[in-house]
Amino acid sequence: MLVGSDARWQVHRRFGITGGVALSLVQHNGLSALALGADASLLDFGDIGLAAGVRHEQWNDWQAGENRAFGLVTAGPTRGLELAAGAAYRAPLFAAGRYASPFNWQSPVPEWNLLYRVEWTFLRRKQAEVSAWIANVDRFTVHNPQQVPFGLRGAYNLGREWNLLGRCGTAINGLSGLILSLGEVAVEVGVQREF
Amino acid sequence: MSSSRRRLLVACSLVFVALAGCEYDWGQFIAHPTVEDRVRENLSGRLHAPGPVAVDPDSFSFAMFGDPQVEHDNVNNLGRLKADVSAKGIAFFCALGDFTEHSTPDEHDSIVKDFQSVGIPYYATIGNHDLYQPDGWEWFKTTFGPSCYPVVIADRVKLIFLDTADGLLGPTQFDWLESELDDGGRYIKIVGTHFPVFDGPEPAMGRTASTGERFKLQHLLQKYGVHSIVSGHIHGWRHTVVEGVNHFICGTMAPGGFDYGSGKGYLLFTFAHDSLSWQRVVFD
Repeated sequence: MLVGSDARWQVHRRFGITGGVALSLVQHNGLSALALGADASLLDFGDIGLAAGVRHEQWNDWQAGENRAFGLVTAGPTRGLELAAGAAYRAPLFAAGRYASPFNWQSPVPEWNLLYRVEWTFLRRKQAEVSAWIANVDRFTVHNPQQVPFGLRGAYNLGREWNLLGRCGTAINGLSGLILSLGEVAVEVGVQREF
Repeated sequence: MSSSRRRLLVACSLVFVALAGCEYDWGQFIAHPTVEDRVRENLSGRLHAPGPVAVDPDSFSFAMFGDPQVEHDNVNNLGRLKADVSAKGIAFFCALGDFTEHSTPDEHDSIVKDFQSVGIPYYATIGNHDLYQPDGWEWFKTTFGPSCYPVVIADRVKLIFLDTADGLLGPTQFDWLESELDDGGRYIKIVGTHFPVFDGPEPAMGRTASTGERFKLQHLLQKYGVHSIVSGHIHGWRHTVVEGVNHFICGTMAPGGFDYGSGKGYLLFTFAHDSLSWQRVVFD
């Protein structure tokens, strides 16, 4: 189980900065992930924009970690639909004493992965909205090419600046072998405060 | 292999799958027994695992390869392995899944005859193609035995076969694997399985699926001093050392052009002077 927190600062109408941290509580106790990112809206037409960031994820019990840098081109071609595509550089870390460093990018098995995100908000009410998503990149994780993660995301306005957020998803595994199976179901629940 | 060639081959593979798919039972892509189902059956004691082969305990060699993938025409490269048995002193071989292309009965018959025709003992584990028909798992376990099991050769080299036919290991197999690896350093250990853990700097989809499982597996391989993990599936050759553990994608024995330009062949291990060495054998 993870406990996470992230923040977003809308520096300018066209530019924002995000950051986050997640802790593991049951297995791999301690720091689980760090995230730092920025995004910019370039064109009002189609909401064309760019997003980039760095991530660090670690598994303390296994003395393993991974640093990632990524870039995405984002677009909102029509109301309710968000698209993004890009690439990530991953540096898996397995050396004892080095896996926990977000500054160590020397890996014996570095790799590039393609990224994608499609999110469609199919229900929008005054206080709530629900989206369906297919994405191999999310707040703290980049999934393997072998997986196709998908799920639902919802938001409910609790009043004033407070929102209740929820997200659940799983992944189709085994694409290259065509022997498909679903992964674990991940559920996220949180609250958001706008300042 | 270049990335453009690799992508082209992946695209060709997908087209090939689409064209050849009429012989697959498409329902098995979803309705197959899961890795947890298979591993629990493996560990139930009801399946008979092959025992250790008799070898010269001071010096012996064995071959590991994947993906013979015979089709109806029974074209394969096992005859070339047979030709090497005497020349290279190969005592046994390990086949790492995808024995047939469509897992049909005639292909099943062909591959068993082909394995037997090599004339030496062998060990087998399962690949994704072996589950492409409703009786795929039934055929595998009744023909070869369990899909995950250990065997100790000459009381010195321990081979541990894993079932990754779905691209996943599952929690039960992880628990079992750790119990097998925890031998106090008594054996030189090699893990053989179908899906690779790593696949180079620009991986396509063909490696174990879960990030968590990949990192946990690497941790266990390091922790227990595993000499090598050998896999197939990719139809190519790759050797990467990760914190002292050799990761091999051991080439392919498949007919046709489905390899990443590295040629057909196998990985040859030789145990001598209480150490293990390896050699990539490429067919001319």
